[in-house]
Amino acid sequence: MSSLLEPEFLRRLARLRVLARKRFAGSAGGARRSMRRGSSAEFADHRPYYAGDDVRRIDWNAYARLEELVLRLYVAEEDLTLYLLVDTSRSLAFGTPTKLEVAKRIAAALGYLGLTGSERVAVVPFSSALGRGFAPARGSRRVGALLRYLDGLEANGETDLTRAVDQFLARAPRPGLVAVISDLLDPGGFERPLDRLASERHEPVIFQVLDREEIDPTPGGDLVLVDSERGTKVEVSLDARAIAAYRARALAFLAGVQAYAKKRGFGYVLAGGEVPFEDALISYLRAA
Amino acid sequence: MGLLSPLALLWAGLLAPLVVLYILKRRRQPREIGSTLLWELALRDLRAERPWKKLIPQVALLLQALAILAGALALARPAGAGRVPAGARIAVVIDTSASMAARAAVGSDDTRFSRAIRAARDLARSLPPGGEMMIVEAAGNAAVIAAPTRDASALERALATLRVRGGGSDLEAAVSVAAERMRGSPSGSRIVLITDAAMSGELALDGRSVPVEVRKVGEPNASSDNTGIVAVDVRPRSEGNTPDRADVFVRIARFARTPADVYVTASVEGRGVVASRRVTVGPGAQESVVIPADLPPDPSGRAPIVRVELSLASAAPGEGTGDALTLDDVAVAPSPGVRRLPVFVVGDASEPVVRALRADRDVELFATTLTALAERDDDAPLDGLVVYAGPTPAEAPPGDSLVLAPTGESVFGTPLGPEVRRPQLVRWEESDPRLRFVSFADVHLAASRTVRGGLRPLISADAGAVAAVLVRPSGETTLLAFDPARSDWPTRPSFVVFFRNLVERARAHRAAGGVPPGRTGEPLRVPAPDGTSVTVTTPAGETMRVVSRGGVALVPTDAEPGVFAVRVGERQLFALRNLLDEHESDVRPRARFTVAGVGATVRVADRVETQEAWPYVAGALLLLLVLEALWATRKGAT
Repeated sequence: MSSLLEPEFLRRLARLRVLARKRFAGSAGGARRSMRRGSSAEFADHRPYYAGDDVRRIDWNAYARLEELVLRLYVAEEDLTLYLLVDTSRSLAFGTPTKLEVAKRIAAALGYLGLTGSERVAVVPFSSALGRGFAPARGSRRVGALLRYLDGLEANGETDLTRAVDQFLARAPRPGLVAVISDLLDPGGFERPLDRLASERHEPVIFQVLDREEIDPTPGGDLVLVDSERGTKVEVSLDARAIAAYRARALAFLAGVQAYAKKRGFGYVLAGGEVPFEDALISYLRAA
Repeated sequence: MGLLSPLALLWAGLLAPLVVLYILKRRRQPREIGSTLLWELALRDLRAERPWKKLIPQVALLLQALAILAGALALARPAGAGRVPAGARIAVVIDTSASMAARAAVGSDDTRFSRAIRAARDLARSLPPGGEMMIVEAAGNAAVIAAPTRDASALERALATLRVRGGGSDLEAAVSVAAERMRGSPSGSRIVLITDAAMSGELALDGRSVPVEVRKVGEPNASSDNTGIVAVDVRPRSEGNTPDRADVFVRIARFARTPADVYVTASVEGRGVVASRRVTVGPGAQESVVIPADLPPDPSGRAPIVRVELSLASAAPGEGTGDALTLDDVAVAPSPGVRRLPVFVVGDASEPVVRALRADRDVELFATTLTALAERDDDAPLDGLVVYAGPTPAEAPPGDSLVLAPTGESVFGTPLGPEVRRPQLVRWEESDPRLRFVSFADVHLAASRTVRGGLRPLISADAGAVAAVLVRPSGETTLLAFDPARSDWPTRPSFVVFFRNLVERARAHRAAGGVPPGRTGEPLRVPAPDGTSVTVTTPAGETMRVVSRGGVALVPTDAEPGVFAVRVGERQLFALRNLLDEHESDVRPRARFTVAGVGATVRVADRVETQEAWPYVAGALLLLLVLEALWATRKGAT
């Protein structure tokens, strides 16, 4: 097994599955309810009969009572497509461990749960544009391929979530659960692309990956901070006052993301804070 | 152009921190991080919290720096003299009386005179094209020191020659002289009288058709308080037999509304303090102080010079009174011993000669020999009349001397002829001061030698000159080539008169040091042969050299009381200079100026009128601020 998934972590994941709050229309019969009416045993609704409908679905009891031909509709059980939008911009290359490493582990965990839970799992790396992704796959046998794929991801380019989401939606994917795994440190903002995902009937889940140093920096000296992606320089003296201002701004940023997710009904997991990302992920999966 | 508040220029020092803020760059270690997005936001928060923001080089800063400079300059109140109408002529009359040496204001190092010069200089600089300026010195006598000219350098040179004089000033005469020279001047011309008005009474200024403008320097307040010596005399004491005992009489006047405690200290040059008295002088009052002192002559027979000095009771002696005028805090006077003339008789002078010399009560006879004189250790020349009877040294001594019946072949390089028996006196120089009231009409000589060479004959006989005068830079020698005892001259009154004339002449040379008396600030007129270098050491210790022209060396001096040591060749002279003028010691502005003559106008300004330029600078400041505002609003200054 890849180092992206530790055995202990796998044991904890084994009892969980990826849950979506929405119902999605799958392409084949799956293990979860579909928003479409299907052929399962669970009754959903009636509708008038039109010529050409399958006569076997006519509810004759209703005809007897109402003297109208109506069809019985049942809830279709379809598979879930899990899209893992993994941020591979250069800013993810920082941190201990690197944020990209954490993002890969999250993606591996989610992918593992999806593949073992008969879901379709696709990985879409992005920075300023979409990268070559892991094509949608199903079945636990694809876990190894998924992990190998994730292991080969490298940090490069600038973050442009808006453009990445636009390109992702341009491929007209089937609505599904979209796990956005990113630090969300995008000058272009994160609200609009996530709103777009929701408007296209996807269910975004935010996995925000930050390094502890990015939330609570260590004091020390006069520095020129160089942005790894844009190259912009910020002269700062890491004294208590500056750090306090930064912490306030960072916490406000995190609170802003959390409030946004709550308002939109999106899932939100912070990886890299006080709580280890494994615990945070499992807590989310249990609560979902 | 000057600055009325030069200290305000310190505001320009604000430029330093301003520039430092721009050029100071802290060294920082570069560190790459994932994203600076949150740091940019945090620093924006910090800047919003701070009362200042990071300075960035921009045009606004340049404008603001210029605004600071202009503001500082404006607060310094740059000012220049009022301008002169184009083509007009201006006559500047500058008061150079002693009171102009008083300080201009309390706490200021400027004197009224220096401010007057500055005002005149400003007027010269403000001359418009075509304008001319002349300068008249108003001292005891009015003198035009610069004729009407537009040459700024000539005016500057003329101003540089001006000095405070020791006496008063005749402002009315000076204005009249200026008015005379301004006759027919174009419209707009005027006479500017710069004075401290420290004189009593009413001054009627007659500028004729030219308006007179009086500009006062000096402030009529506590800065004019003054205590000074207005009279000093040293007289021998009447009681006692010691001729060296003397009393120093000093009169001190206070010109102020408050009394003053002062020390009057008498000292002798080279010997130190003789005595000191503490005196309280009431406002507007005068006090006399008598200080007894022993004033013996020095080994050369030179009478001492007494120096009297005033100092504040609260200050150490020698620190002065710290009042408005320092010229009257010091006075010098010769001791009565100056009157007593030492006469050194070398050799065996005949009895009639000794008796004639003793006829003067102020003559002190000392008998000596050529050998004794040659063995003297003291390099100082004998300060008196030296009478050689018979042999003479090879060189003439400094000072005055008389040679009687010389025995050598020559006297001080002048050859003598053989003895002539019964020479008939035919001519004598009646105009010579030695022969004043002296006649040889019925004098008969038994014998005499004749004087050869280029000496000026004093008494001539049929055989030649029997008496002559040898004039040297260091003194005079009167040569009588005969022995008066071998004539009937001692029985004549003219004999005693001749020796009295000789002694008086030597006394005059000694008392005045050969330099005519004068006031402080007036040039020393030192008699000296043409081309002789005259060295003068001032009371302050400064030394200057002047070459004699036309028999007189004119040595310019500043108004400085005390003893001026003058050296002409080997001769050492002393010139004493004092203010001793209660009118000049009263430096309070009090003169009233009125108009004299028909058509004349007089305008009086209480102080030197300056045209302040700060409004222009302030205007420039406002303009800069407007430009800065425009730039900031139109160009989007950050």
